[in-house]
Amino acid sequence: MNATARKPYRVINTKSFLRRFFTYAVLILFAAIAVYPILQVVTVSLRPQDKLLSTSLQIIPENATLVNYVSLFRDRPFLLWLGNSTLVSLVVTMTGVLLAAMTGYAFSRFRFIGKKIGLLSLLTTQMFPATMLLLPLYIMLIKLGLINSYLGVIIIYTATALPFTIWTMKGYYDTIPYSLEEAARIDGCNQFEAFYKVVLPLAAPALVITALFSFMTAWSEYLVAAQILQDTHLWTLPLGLKSFESNMSTEWGLYGASSLIVTVPVVILFQALSRYLVSGLTLGSVKG
Amino acid sequence: MNRPAQKAFIVFLVVPSFLILAAVVFYPFVYNVVISLSNMNLRHIKDWSLVGLQQYYKVFFEPTQPNFYLVFLKTIIWTVVNVFFHVTLGVALALLLNQRDIKGRPLFRTLLILPWAIPQYIVALTWRGMFNYEYGSINLIITKYLNLPAVEWLKSPAEAFLACILTNVWLGFPFMMVIALGALQSIPHEFYEAANIDGASWWHKLRHITIPLLRPVMVPAITLGTVWTFNSLNIVWLVSNAGEPSDQTHILVSFVYKAAFNLYRYGYAAALSMVIFAILLVFSLYFMKKTRATEAAY
Amino acid sequence: MLNSLSSAAQVVRNLVLVTLLVLLAGCAKKADPHRIVIWHQMRVDDRLVLEDQIREFMAQHPGILVEQIYKETEELRSGFIVAAIAGQGPDLVYGPADQVGPFEVMGIIRPLEDLFTQAYIDSFIPEATCLYKSHLYQLADKLGNHLVLIYNKDLLPTPPETDVELLRVGKELTRDTNGDGKTDRYALTWNYTEPFFFIPFLTGFGGWVMTDDGTPTLDTPAMVEALKFIRDLRDRYHIIPGEADYNVADALFKDRMAAMIINGDWSWAGYKKAGINFGVAPLPRITSTGIWPAPMVAPRGYSININVAGEKLPLIVELLKFLMRPDIQLRTAKALWSMPTRREAAESEFVRSDPVLRNSALQISRGRLMPMVPELRAVWDAMRPSYQAVLGGATTPERAAKAMQELAIRKIREMNE
Repeated sequence: MNATARKPYRVINTKSFLRRFFTYAVLILFAAIAVYPILQVVTVSLRPQDKLLSTSLQIIPENATLVNYVSLFRDRPFLLWLGNSTLVSLVVTMTGVLLAAMTGYAFSRFRFIGKKIGLLSLLTTQMFPATMLLLPLYIMLIKLGLINSYLGVIIIYTATALPFTIWTMKGYYDTIPYSLEEAARIDGCNQFEAFYKVVLPLAAPALVITALFSFMTAWSEYLVAAQILQDTHLWTLPLGLKSFESNMSTEWGLYGASSLIVTVPVVILFQALSRYLVSGLTLGSVKG
Repeated sequence: MNRPAQKAFIVFLVVPSFLILAAVVFYPFVYNVVISLSNMNLRHIKDWSLVGLQQYYKVFFEPTQPNFYLVFLKTIIWTVVNVFFHVTLGVALALLLNQRDIKGRPLFRTLLILPWAIPQYIVALTWRGMFNYEYGSINLIITKYLNLPAVEWLKSPAEAFLACILTNVWLGFPFMMVIALGALQSIPHEFYEAANIDGASWWHKLRHITIPLLRPVMVPAITLGTVWTFNSLNIVWLVSNAGEPSDQTHILVSFVYKAAFNLYRYGYAAALSMVIFAILLVFSLYFMKKTRATEAAY
Repeated sequence: MLNSLSSAAQVVRNLVLVTLLVLLAGCAKKADPHRIVIWHQMRVDDRLVLEDQIREFMAQHPGILVEQIYKETEELRSGFIVAAIAGQGPDLVYGPADQVGPFEVMGIIRPLEDLFTQAYIDSFIPEATCLYKSHLYQLADKLGNHLVLIYNKDLLPTPPETDVELLRVGKELTRDTNGDGKTDRYALTWNYTEPFFFIPFLTGFGGWVMTDDGTPTLDTPAMVEALKFIRDLRDRYHIIPGEADYNVADALFKDRMAAMIINGDWSWAGYKKAGINFGVAPLPRITSTGIWPAPMVAPRGYSININVAGEKLPLIVELLKFLMRPDIQLRTAKALWSMPTRREAAESEFVRSDPVLRNSALQISRGRLMPMVPELRAVWDAMRPSYQAVLGGATTPERAAKAMQELAIRKIREMNE
């Protein structure tokens, strides 16, 4: 190690030190803000007496107990709800990713009649307050015989997630130059192969967003599920959680515990997919 | 690819999605249009009949408490403030998290996504509890650590509205952060390298490289985010306990909800929903034209 | 991640297989003539009791399947309306009596009096078999939903019997227990956001919400006096906290930061679970009028969906008769402190001797039946903003009373157009 190598390091150091200090400070502050209300929910789940609020600010309450967590699995069909939600959400995620990846590609690459209207109509589907759609949806589903089945719920959830996911995929595809596909075609691929061998991997971050969004749509949706799934053995997590609610006698302990547990799969999914979200698969490496 | 094959390919890609969308959205929409022209309410629930534009007249001219136009204004403020903070905070945090030499990024990412991941009902009510005048954490922090007088959050209209906004900003920034994180990956490193060689400042890089190249992916998120925020019922309803104080904390959707489900005025609520829809349609058309969002980026 | 896909076709095939699997798993049950479905809004403890009773019924009647599904009150109302209008829905819907009004107007429940003998109906206490528009639409198994004065015996051994006494003990009980300059314990609290909790005060000063045909009677001197009274409790006598919704009031009482709370019969089990040494007492008399406050009392019971096939009705009658048996009702009363509706049970030794039930019965006898007409909902909506405004200091009691009345009339008109 010679002396000259150390000099430039010192000059840059202060600037980068400030930047990193600022970064950590902001991140820690926001992480604390993000987590604090969640800690309150932890407190609620540890209290034995079904209390949402308290005059004390303690995070771990007096008489803290895990009885709510135990009761959740032992006295309520929580595992059943968990299984049902997982099934529905995974199917919605897979269909959602598939459809959005394909449709977004068409909107990005091709010009065709009705393209503009198509994109606009995607947007318009989101503009209607959801609560007003319940009655007609219910009537329609009864006529189609889809009440009390997962098929109806899956179709509606997929439809709910599509506008955003299609549009996001399109936007992401738009940032991938067409020249890459052209290069692939010259190398002998047809259009479809160019799509899924070259473009799709580069669009991994957008696919992650699509997957997360579709999953969350299905995982946390309540209104539609409540209207369609009448048999208790079909209940998904939001319906199960709602059963702890009562106008003035909510079982806060169970509600808190289940809310936290329900968050875990989402976090796990996010962790698993974040690799691809920030993979830094830059275009630079492909271009060469 | 020859033209017929290309056409078939396009159809294969596009039609399934739109088929599903049409089925799920089209019928309810038409139904609502019809109901909005009818007198469906408590007394006419099975035997409603078409009555023309009566309900629309009521929406615009009937004196309500609160006033329709005031609620409309509030909704605009709600939407603009929320989306602004969602996007700025989300993008800022994504930029900070995108730096290679920061340690513990996976942990930060996970913690910052929690507001999005946790079920809204209990967390919204927890926030409501935090805004309590005497016992809530927010006032405790304000009085103890900032030495400022406590705020009567839930008793005054302006403060209650602010409380809803704060809660919703907290809930919404993780989503924009995730989108921004993804969008940042699409920006080729060479652009930054070239700018560094030219001696560009971080502000310059932000303004001329990052922001323009984030646009294709952020614009859908912002547009849809705006529409969703405009129509988001949950938070306002839960934090303000359905409109407190005195039915002043309302945005258009919570107003519709109360009309429809409290007093069974389904025709009126349908008309109001159509008006909301029209407002959003006009906004989107304008916004999309301005950002040329339907075209490609390159 | 996508590189492991060998071809889109394979994915699509897998997707179709999974979807079929899911479809089969979630297939709808056909309408079964031997299956009775009940929708209710019972809280957890009530639910468990019902579950036990249903199990017993099914054991005695093999071949009949009874299912109970819980829905939160508002959900239950809108969910049942949507389902019944579309020709579906549960066979029985359980809830408070005020759901009868709207359901009857919408034509989604059927009259019951032709399914039971007059003698059977007479074996109930009269409040439980109220006629609405000269028909019986609901058979009630519990009478209650009423507010009482709940007090913490450790902080206050004897509850006050008049408002003057209340003020006296209130002053002693409200204090700053940890010396930080702020009052942290209050004598009394309740949910300030819902007009339902205000009714006892209104009736204590001689007022009521509406006439029998549904015309609101909100702009009365009684209303003004009652509003002044609660405002004074806070601003003049300082014995109640500044802000309190249901959860806050509940937390204060459970944390022993409030010596008394005005709450209903649904909350007692929760206080027992929280280890509070609580007692139940009738609300204290208003000295200036000499009237005992009358909270609203409502029966809770079963109504039959109009879409139920005629052949199923005898089965449903069997089930109802079982659930309404005096011994079954007594069991429920013992578990839940609920007031039974069969005369035999209501006049039993147990109900008369148990301290909680005895006081509860006393309060019920001083209470007033909640109106069943749909207009009540409009009245609540009209009362709520002004009531909150008075407590929030934004308006005076006189202006509030006038505003309530005007708004109520308008809302009723809007609802009935």
